[in-house]
Amino acid sequence: MARNGVSPLSLGPEKLPSRAGLVVVGGGVIGCSIAREATRYTPDVVVLEKESDVACGTSKANNAEVHSGIGEDAGTLKQKLNVRGNQMYDEFVRGLGVELKRQGLLIVVTQRTIPRDGGMPEEERMELLTRKIPAGIVAYGENAGIRGLRILSRDEVFRMEPNVTREAVAGVFDPTYGLISPYKLTIALAEHAVINGARVFLDTEVTGFRVEDGAVRAVVTNRGEIESSLVVNASGVFADEVADMAGAGGFKIHPRKGATLLFDRQVTAEYVRSSVAEFRLPGQRTTQSKGGGAMPTAEGNLQLGPTAIEVEDKYDTSISAEEIEEIFERFHYLLPDFPRDALISAFSGVRAPTLEEDFVIGASEAVRGFVNVAGIQSPGLASAPAIAEMVLGILHDLGLPREPRPDFDPVRPAPPKFSELSNRERNRLVREDPRWGNVICRCETVTEMEVVNAIHSIIPATNMDAVKRRTRTGMGRCQGGFCHNRVAAILARELGIHVTEVTKDGEGSPVFLGVAKEFLGGGTR
Amino acid sequence: MKKTHNYTCINCPLSCSLELTEEDGEVLEVRGADCKVGQKYAVEEFRNPRRTVSTTVRVQGGVLPLLPVVSAAPIPKALVREAVRTLAAVTVEAPVADGQVIYPDILGTGVDIIASRRLEAGVSG
Amino acid sequence: MSAVRRPQCVVIGAGPAGLGAALAAREAGLGDVMLLERDFELGGILPQCIHDGFGSIVFDQVLTGPQYAQRFIDRVEAAGIEVKLNTMVLEMRGDRRITAVNPRDGVFELEPASIVLAMGCRERTRHQVMIPGYRPAGVICAGAAQRDINIEGLMPGRRVVILGSGDIGLIMARRFTLEGAEVEGVYEIMDHPGGLTRNVVQCLHDYDIPLHLSHTVTFIHGRKRVEAVTVTRVDENLKPIKGTERRVPCDALVLSVGLIPENELSKQAGVELDPLTAGPVVDERMHTSVDGIFACGNVVCVFDLVDWVTQTAERAGRSAAEYVLEGGRRKRRPPVRVTAGRNVKFVVPQLLREFDREIELFFRVEHPERAARTRVLVDGEELYSRKAKMVRPPEMVKAGADPGGARRELENITVEVVTEEEEA
Repeated sequence: MARNGVSPLSLGPEKLPSRAGLVVVGGGVIGCSIAREATRYTPDVVVLEKESDVACGTSKANNAEVHSGIGEDAGTLKQKLNVRGNQMYDEFVRGLGVELKRQGLLIVVTQRTIPRDGGMPEEERMELLTRKIPAGIVAYGENAGIRGLRILSRDEVFRMEPNVTREAVAGVFDPTYGLISPYKLTIALAEHAVINGARVFLDTEVTGFRVEDGAVRAVVTNRGEIESSLVVNASGVFADEVADMAGAGGFKIHPRKGATLLFDRQVTAEYVRSSVAEFRLPGQRTTQSKGGGAMPTAEGNLQLGPTAIEVEDKYDTSISAEEIEEIFERFHYLLPDFPRDALISAFSGVRAPTLEEDFVIGASEAVRGFVNVAGIQSPGLASAPAIAEMVLGILHDLGLPREPRPDFDPVRPAPPKFSELSNRERNRLVREDPRWGNVICRCETVTEMEVVNAIHSIIPATNMDAVKRRTRTGMGRCQGGFCHNRVAAILARELGIHVTEVTKDGEGSPVFLGVAKEFLGGGTR
Repeated sequence: MKKTHNYTCINCPLSCSLELTEEDGEVLEVRGADCKVGQKYAVEEFRNPRRTVSTTVRVQGGVLPLLPVVSAAPIPKALVREAVRTLAAVTVEAPVADGQVIYPDILGTGVDIIASRRLEAGVSG
Repeated sequence: MSAVRRPQCVVIGAGPAGLGAALAAREAGLGDVMLLERDFELGGILPQCIHDGFGSIVFDQVLTGPQYAQRFIDRVEAAGIEVKLNTMVLEMRGDRRITAVNPRDGVFELEPASIVLAMGCRERTRHQVMIPGYRPAGVICAGAAQRDINIEGLMPGRRVVILGSGDIGLIMARRFTLEGAEVEGVYEIMDHPGGLTRNVVQCLHDYDIPLHLSHTVTFIHGRKRVEAVTVTRVDENLKPIKGTERRVPCDALVLSVGLIPENELSKQAGVELDPLTAGPVVDERMHTSVDGIFACGNVVCVFDLVDWVTQTAERAGRSAAEYVLEGGRRKRRPPVRVTAGRNVKFVVPQLLREFDREIELFFRVEHPERAARTRVLVDGEELYSRKAKMVRPPEMVKAGADPGGARRELENITVEVVTEEEEA
């Protein structure tokens, strides 16, 4: 590829700096949150990401949920940071140009929560289902510090969500729950950090650390070494391996896959308004995950999932036929006639739990200056602000400046989205540059200028998936059938490469394998 | 020596499976045909199967990088691949008129390869 | 924003349907016809269909896709129809207000006296047929691959597996082969090919490409680029049979698993859709449920012959012209629903309002049948009958009915397939 790592347009030379005040390993939502928060105190921050874009791991393949914390076990670090993180969110995303929609979570209590044939007198059973269980959920949440929880009668459940099963008997509404696009948030945080002086290096893989006298001295990468006495390990599913490289380990990540089905937003836009989850008693959970739910994405597509399956391979983002069936079966009860035919996509992400299933956040006792932020799985997205806050506290103690910078820029300008503008604004843009009037992606109404902007943004989109995450090209009904070659051509033109060098998501994923006549010995690139 | 050849008739949705028997090139029998059209088709497929060739050739200075071309008449089936390979080495200059001869007398068949559309000059991509 | 324009007819989409409709509207007397096309040139999907097999009905001649398109393009240009290229319709309302955008005019609005919908169709994707596995580069729909190879000059694969034996899948098997790629095989979940026999013979047999019936792809391997697919035999309920899996190394999976009419704009305007065709419910004039909005071609239902697309287009264009020239004042009579009778899956048009001229009825059968006769019954009277040696679901059938000179009132019209056995 012609361009790796940093963008020559906005991030300066490709060479790594010889030293940095703070190095964050991992450009996921956690690494970028920490980097952005750190730039409030110092511009001398470097983020290293081994993939071709930020948000390429778990941060791009989760359900976009900003949980309230009601699903977490009491007393865990997870629950504490989740509840705090949720409360910090509006402030956290201010100025980023990424929207958090707090559309709430409806927890539905159903007939099968306590099956009829369990031998319990019916009156007692209904008392439990309609009063005691909802009251218990509310009390549990309030005890954790979650505000605004509300018990709903059966009728209120249907008024709120008409498509929910008639088996519903009561519900609890959790208004603080919200959704945010996890990759848009990560990209925005990374860009905001760069605006404030940080440098993000893509395609840069950490291969080791230089540790002397029990303290970290340098980070070794495939592109050279950076001296630094402060390192944050936010490398997701690889956090155990990265920590072990420094001798700062002692925990094990066991990858757990989660698959989600995604539906056409034209069909499912109004299908559920809030997120909907079925309440299950602890014994009824089939997996380690909280059971997932039916929810609109930040963009309005209905999604169902996720599953939870232990896997060997940290790169295993495959989806099996059994998983797809499992999801349909699971949600058939909760939403009996959801539009199965409107399925347009399915994705799978790998969670990064430790054996203890709790977050592992703290300064290494073995290696001074090395901070592990590991075991971050759901509700990691919701907890991100609180995790960053906690990590900043640790970094301050390890020597990161404590004084806020007066020159910190609070705003990351978000590029305009044609589909969200008024016709007047659209026309103003087309007059400025006709590329605003050239619709590239028909399903999602994305214009050429938006693609160009994404390619030349602060964290540049250098492949098809990176453009897609920023602009939604190829995310619609036709899944890129109509626009893939047009996006590829724009990428080639803007990056100054041949179109056969354009990739789906970085090295090893070319979109095209040759030009016409080439396999006949007649063509040249 | 007697030999048999199998064909699938393409002339109607019935898609008859045809079995042609010949001896030293002399057609002895066609079995399986529901009608005369099938009978005739099998004999033709045996004696002189022909196909219309369509492919693309590279264009210089056109609004598109390729020009679709087609043989003005069917050519012997056995020559199709060779014809396409021959055309892979051809580059034409835009503009091109619809029906313009791109490659006369392909492989000595007497059949011309012609442009199957108009292609204006311009910048592709 | 510039002033709202009010053309007599706006045609959305300039594939064979849109070209035919615009021409017919113009020739039927409309001076102000506007054709909107999202691509940079006219023709729709035809310019990429470089193979021959088009036009035997309309032109009594076998043409390639580009040749078929070129004939219409030449006529559209000569007719002085206003064409707007690179133009995307953003919104269409039930009161026929259209909002569109292109780089030259920016966002503009139209309030035409009539609209003809000719947006065509799109391809089903891997998720709509639920293929498990990874999401690497190299999974592509056959029509998209056709565009890459024939228009853009780019090869999306070098060792290819094709899933689905619809005509586009078969045509692309030959095309990949002729471009020097290797097609390992074509896999079809049904126990019979999805495309025309002619294409099975000339695209697969001619090149020794195997067709595996009752097989499907059950897993896509490769994290970055397709590395292999697992193919599995299916049972009579189309469920994969455990133990019959085979891993086929390849670098691309090409899907030919069906087409879906593109009706997002129709939905916006409140046009009633037929769940069987996924296209608008139309009457004999190709008039949709919304006054002044007509539809033709693959947006109505997926046709297998472009010639028939053209026929529906000409009807829609003429009807739109009639509608406009009558000032949109003619009262629409209550419709009779065309009944899909024995072994008929659906019929287009779905409605008959005025039986005052010869009508054409397009339909698909539900299952293959030998020695069949298709017929049209109007209030019990057989107005059309034609024998067919064989009818098959992939091959659409056309029937007709003539009222015999004058307007004919009717209560019931049925299209059905009967067999010799039954009749005997």
